[in-house]
Amino acid sequence: MKILIRGFIALSTFSLISLSTLAATSVTFWHMEGVPHRVDRIQTLIDEFNAANPGIEVKQEVQNWGEIYAKAPASVAAGTSPEILVGIPDFTPILAEMGAAQPVEDFVAELDAKYKFYQKALDQYTYNGHTWAVPLWNMAISIWYRKSEFENAGISPPTTWSELKAAAKALTKDGVYGIGLPGNKQLYTDQTIYSFMVNSGASEIYNSDGSLRFDNAGTVSAYEVYKDLYQYSAPDAANWTWGEAEACFASKACAMILQFTVITTYDSQAEGDANDLGVIQIPYADGMADSAGTVSYVNSAMIMTEDSEKMEASKKFLSFLMEPGNYGRFINMEPGLFLPITEEGSKDRTYWNDPMVVKYKPQIKTMLDNSTRGSLFGFTNGNTFTSISSISAQNLLSQTLQLAIIDGKDAATAVSEGQSIMNEAIE
Amino acid sequence: MKKINNEGWLFVLPLLLWLILSICFPLYIAIDLSFYNVKIIGTEGQFYGIKNYIKILNSSKFWSALNNSLFWVIGNALAQTFFAFLIALTLNKKFKGRNIATNWIILSFIIPTVVIVVIWKLMLSSSSGIVSSTLININLINKPIGFFGSPNIAFISLILINSWRWSPFLALIILSGLKSINREIYDASKIDGTNIFTEFWYITFPNLKNVLFVLGLVGTLLSFNVFDIIWLITKGGPSNATTTLPLLIYETAFTKFRLSQAASLSVITSIILLTYSIIFIKFMSEKKEDA
Repeated sequence: MKILIRGFIALSTFSLISLSTLAATSVTFWHMEGVPHRVDRIQTLIDEFNAANPGIEVKQEVQNWGEIYAKAPASVAAGTSPEILVGIPDFTPILAEMGAAQPVEDFVAELDAKYKFYQKALDQYTYNGHTWAVPLWNMAISIWYRKSEFENAGISPPTTWSELKAAAKALTKDGVYGIGLPGNKQLYTDQTIYSFMVNSGASEIYNSDGSLRFDNAGTVSAYEVYKDLYQYSAPDAANWTWGEAEACFASKACAMILQFTVITTYDSQAEGDANDLGVIQIPYADGMADSAGTVSYVNSAMIMTEDSEKMEASKKFLSFLMEPGNYGRFINMEPGLFLPITEEGSKDRTYWNDPMVVKYKPQIKTMLDNSTRGSLFGFTNGNTFTSISSISAQNLLSQTLQLAIIDGKDAATAVSEGQSIMNEAIE
Repeated sequence: MKKINNEGWLFVLPLLLWLILSICFPLYIAIDLSFYNVKIIGTEGQFYGIKNYIKILNSSKFWSALNNSLFWVIGNALAQTFFAFLIALTLNKKFKGRNIATNWIILSFIIPTVVIVVIWKLMLSSSSGIVSSTLININLINKPIGFFGSPNIAFISLILINSWRWSPFLALIILSGLKSINREIYDASKIDGTNIFTEFWYITFPNLKNVLFVLGLVGTLLSFNVFDIIWLITKGGPSNATTTLPLLIYETAFTKFRLSQAASLSVITSIILLTYSIIFIKFMSEKKEDA
């Protein structure tokens, strides 16, 4: 009899567990942070969340930046899209237009009341009367260098383009490229060329009526200086993405590079001497100090489900990530790369207590400061139009750059042709 | 009067149905899609007639990609045939370690493409790659080469990497052909005073005609459709120099978001390949019969 009762209890327990598992609301979380330690950190947070919320089961699926522009719309069409998709601003309009990304202004307002988003973070996702994603973290490009190499060459960190060109020339020697600049038709090159455009007052791609204003004197001067500097870059830079630039800097083959961060590779694959690692904002065009800035990317989470239960579960998970105590750990999946986008998050001790952040605190403070002057092409001054997705997905800023640095056209001709290509892309 | 074998048709029917489902149906979808103006996958479009085709045939990008595809196929055919024959003829000789060498060469097409790409990109890197540093050390060059930095060098580099990957596979097919040639023909020719070149030209080459026929057809079609190595290494750059038709189709569909245009490009590509296949089979079959 005892055996029968035990068996019954065991069966009931098993059934209950099975039922609760079946009843759990599943949330699939797509992101593009495929580096193993980032995946591990996200998994740790997911495990904590799942343990604290038995009715919800979040699982992560790692995607690839190179393919996500193709894969996400295809997954929507196939009905297999995730509940949460991490993205960057220029990726959101196309999914909003497809009706896949759901408006989240009410949810963002709730979070804003608790954690206070930086306004710039919200600007990149607010257009057409809605907020289309929940900002998660910020990234901004700076110039990275070794202080000792500058001292040896007898130069100071550049603040203007003339100084930057002189520095790149002075630092170029046998086996060392003065500056590592990408020339690939890829997002990294879009980011670096736009960093120059911002600093010559050409941050605006669109006029307020949606027509393009890419072809202007500021853009031409940015493309000109890039072409000048490119001669000091590595001969295979036309095929570079972020990794090759970081490797070039880590191996001391590049004296300077433009990058979101080099902290992890510098610490693990190079000298790791925090006192020697320098970071400065991107120099501005001569006489244009007022335009000083950089490119910044506020990464966000789009909610891609209309199912109310799944939407609530998704919001609960995102709220969990934004909570102080979790938020610092979340964005420190890559310490010194992802920067806080809320006032409360900026104070989160789990952010500042990370050993890597402690070690490179001065550099990270400079990055944070640079990020406050960050902007993004197609998301400036409220002139946001969905056609920016076409320009961004096709990497037309870097395609235009290739007309100058690979095909040898002068900057003005390249920019003029670039605008024609963009007009064709957005028609 | 010929008797129709109904049983035979019954046996072939499942395969025919499978072919209809897996080839004809997707082809029909692509052709149908090419007459609309659908932009993003999963969205609706309006009937567009043959405007997509007119647009493509008037686009310099299409002709440039077709040109690149032709050079890609010719370059690969030359490089792969050369390397494949070199390997096959070497492995056809008796020498110590021949079995190990035969097994070893298959590694290049067993290793996943993505691994091959990473290895070659590392080796050819101008800042830390072994190839440039070795060439500098032996004083062949005085500064690193950007193997993917300029249009022509990038194109040649890609052809060599792709040939490195597939030549051993072709070599094994040629080797199987070589093994089937009667040794007595070679022995008899030696009495007639042939050298290594005349032996190859008058005995080996004609006896490999069947193998070369298959390689010429299938190899060309496979080579034309290579996407992964090019996409992973250069993404069609620099400055579209390595954009072949398969890459252009992908870009048009998934980065330009012009799905119907991509479908039209696919149809045009299919027509090109089908025409090539028909001409090749007709022309080469006649040659074979003449021989």
